Amino acid sequence: MTSPAGFVRPPRIAAWLVKLFASTEEESILGDLLEEYSDFASKVGVAFARRWYWRQAVKTVAHFVRSGFCAAPWSTSIAAIGGFLLLRFVSGLPDKVLSAVTDRYLAFWSTHFEAYTWMLNGMLIEHLIGSMFVGCVVALAAKGREMIATMTLALILCTLMGTAVVWVATHGRIEVAWMLWSSADPFAIVMGGVIVRTRRLAATTWLSKA
Amino acid sequence: MSDRDYLGEFEHIIVLALLRLEDRAYGVTVRQEIEIRTKREVSIGAVYATLDRLETKGYVKSHRGDPTPQRGGRSKRFFRVTAKGVAAVNRTHHVLQSMTEGLDLIRSYS
Repeated sequence: MTSPAGFVRPPRIAAWLVKLFASTEEESILGDLLEEYSDFASKVGVAFARRWYWRQAVKTVAHFVRSGFCAAPWSTSIAAIGGFLLLRFVSGLPDKVLSAVTDRYLAFWSTHFEAYTWMLNGMLIEHLIGSMFVGCVVALAAKGREMIATMTLALILCTLMGTAVVWVATHGRIEVAWMLWSSADPFAIVMGGVIVRTRRLAATTWLSKA
Repeated sequence: MSDRDYLGEFEHIIVLALLRLEDRAYGVTVRQEIEIRTKREVSIGAVYATLDRLETKGYVKSHRGDPTPQRGGRSKRFFRVTAKGVAAVNRTHHVLQSMTEGLDLIRSYS
């Protein structure tokens, strides 16, 4: 990328979001946004230009999410539902492994209780890694719509969790830690989508340069 | 695509903008032309999504320009309307004219 004199860098996160969600033509879109951004920055001021850039980025991402889902509703839904089923399977695995290990070496764990609690904490991280893995699988299955498929799956989980929170709130006391922990799952899934999308974008850029 | 396909509202606006801009039509100019004439803010994503759809239908064609420093070394994508696109605009106009013929919109429905 060349940088002319007086070049003002647009908001990085906004540009990254556009790149992440634009299935095609991210180069033209980012070029157009940069051209208008530079124009606004020199004529009206950087603060206005940054606000304009963010507004355009948010609208563009929202448009791509909507149009991406409408263009392939079935394949996106199938990828998300498949991911949901896979998540049910994967999320139970750490528990099974822990049970098997504790049963096998019962005498060891009873004398090393600290190690046991350390392993329990490690299980929470394994759970997150499992969710991220599912996000990656869903993103791989939904080629070109990685972010939309993983966000659909995250939305399904959020809806289920929202329902669970309402049910628990009406039947007892909600633990804040439990709520925070539950919201980590959808986040990890979307992160999986981000990883796959970023890798694919890098591969495309590398191939076009080669 | 049949000969009875009409353009949607935003598709119609985009094709008209391309016809106005002639060989200067690319993302920035198309977006600005629509904003100036319709007085509504349009996202660049909406412009490209519609242009891609129109290109798939064969109503517009695109080609790449040279990369420029103002765009961070990225190239422009220029668009032009095809004969099929012009026919679609005419068809849509004709249908709208037929539907509004004889209606006194300002007096009757304001």
